[in-house]
Amino acid sequence: MPIWIRGLPIDVRGRTKGVFMLKNHYVQRFLQSWKIFIENPLGKTGVIILFVFMVMALASFVVPHINPMYDPMIGIDPNISISTGPSLTHWLGTDNVGRDLFAQLLEGAKVAFIVGLSSAFFSIVLGMVIGMISGYAGGTLDTFLMRTADIIMVLPSLVILLILSSLFGQFNIWIIVFIIAIMRWPAVSRVIRSQTLSLKHRPFIEASKVAGASHLRIIFRHIMPNVLPLAFLYMTFRVTSAILVEAALSFLGFGDPSQVSWGMMLQWVWKSGNMFHAPYWLLPPGISISLLTLAFYLLGRAMDEVLDPRLRKEGRA
Amino acid sequence: MRNQIYILGKLMEIVIIFFVIMTVLFFLFRLSPGDPVSKVVDPMLTPEDTQYLIEQMGLDKPIWEQYMVYLKNCSTGNLGVSFHYGEPVFKIIKERLGWTILLFTSSTVLAALVGVFLGKISAWNKGSRLDNILSISALVCYTLFIPWFALLLLWIFGFKIGIFPLGGILSPELWVTNSSWFARGLDILHHMILPLITLFIINLGSYLLLMRSSMLGVLREDYIITARAKGLSEKVIRNKHAAKNAALPVVTSVGLSLAFSINGGALTEQIFTWPGIGRELIFAVSNNDYPLAQACFLLIALVVLLANFIVDMLYAYLDPRITH
Repeated sequence: MPIWIRGLPIDVRGRTKGVFMLKNHYVQRFLQSWKIFIENPLGKTGVIILFVFMVMALASFVVPHINPMYDPMIGIDPNISISTGPSLTHWLGTDNVGRDLFAQLLEGAKVAFIVGLSSAFFSIVLGMVIGMISGYAGGTLDTFLMRTADIIMVLPSLVILLILSSLFGQFNIWIIVFIIAIMRWPAVSRVIRSQTLSLKHRPFIEASKVAGASHLRIIFRHIMPNVLPLAFLYMTFRVTSAILVEAALSFLGFGDPSQVSWGMMLQWVWKSGNMFHAPYWLLPPGISISLLTLAFYLLGRAMDEVLDPRLRKEGRA
Repeated sequence: MRNQIYILGKLMEIVIIFFVIMTVLFFLFRLSPGDPVSKVVDPMLTPEDTQYLIEQMGLDKPIWEQYMVYLKNCSTGNLGVSFHYGEPVFKIIKERLGWTILLFTSSTVLAALVGVFLGKISAWNKGSRLDNILSISALVCYTLFIPWFALLLLWIFGFKIGIFPLGGILSPELWVTNSSWFARGLDILHHMILPLITLFIINLGSYLLLMRSSMLGVLREDYIITARAKGLSEKVIRNKHAAKNAALPVVTSVGLSLAFSINGGALTEQIFTWPGIGRELIFAVSNNDYPLAQACFLLIALVVLLANFIVDMLYAYLDPRITH
């Protein structure tokens, strides 16, 4: 009998069958889900926007090799010393020291992907492990972990990052990623915990206990596969918030000084006093941040609809 | 009786959490690189003054005694002297707090009211064109990058059209001349509109989306079918039966989304040079004014905890099942 978790059939018995059959089953299910996903207008829009930004991020590796002056950080057009508008050599214009804005925008896409995906990944791994342990162990450990989660959940992450960077100096991009991840696991772990609680008393867990499986094996072999889809759903939302927090931090001037990011571009246009007469500099980074976060959000919503059939398009209840 | 126990329990929780936050902050300040004295005492002071302050703060004593002195100072509101202003931090924060509260409460209340109303309409007309327009605009509001949106408003309304000021809270000439309170109030409102719009738009999206999904859930409940079967008018079902129940999760989300709106608030204050706590924090952090930064942080943490407490109380009042 398949067990239904948020509308997604998870064939528990399938795990004990041959690995080959299992794989086949998963591939089929993945293709089915993908079809629902891509037919969903939200999902389709999200995927298209995401694809464009991915191409941009990949292009950022190529551009500095075309001409060294297109290096986003140190490449300077020798003929330009003030911010100029779009031209043939500089598609989006240049900043106040003659760096190409389009190259910076491409580099920003790369940084946004790195920051968003890696910090979302760390935070769901943390959230999933803590949520599973908390739900499985119960008792004092559960209370302790969930109270900690409550405290972290209500604290504003940007403010925390600001106070930490005042104490420890400017962070490099990986430390920022890591701190964002630490600030963002609680919501994931709450969901995973409640899922684990409902899984804990199912017969297949009891059976593996009787068969002599250790706690760790039960958590990682039997519970984890059942909570993974949910964790991945939450990952898309974490990406959104991670990108926004990193951009805000860079915008305030506390980002990694050796990395060009969209937030950094906005910080430069604001601080260099070009804000009111360089719309070609002000508009692109902000639009990019908003569009990319929108894309990840749409993806999450569409995934939610794949996992939960009740949300799919129907008339009013 | 049961209510009192519930309230007491929640209050105890806040005290404990705040204590934990204070402790973590204390040890972070001691763990960070550099001389701990330089984090508490202004490096510009004369050696005698420095010595006096070191003794007053107990910086020459072992770390446990320092910790006790720190807890005592925090509880009496003695948070040190700002390096930049040369005034007690407590006084500076007291001045800034009013401005932040003014901006925050007005934008949150406005966004919650409008968000709940539009979310209700959107869910009621699910699948219609109105619903699509509303939810897509809410999504766009939700994912907007706050500082950029604020800069955009500043550029369009402050610079291009020029009907709103570029920052601050008052026009200086109004303070010099003996203008009436009404004129001053109107002037503050004039300065407040752009930051207010920014925070309103940012918060609106999440309230609308939340109310919409909550309302969609409620509309599937049996009591809605019962209400229909009783022959009640659609308007009564929508406003009395569905919306009232659907608004409950929105109330709790005010507390949870506070962290999100404080991030946005600090950025908004910074861009519109609104003299609130968020801007003071950013200023303190960029100028290594440690006592001021620490005090701003503690205050923000306290406000967040109190707001969550108020939300809990409100929720218990709206939904009596909680306390049982």
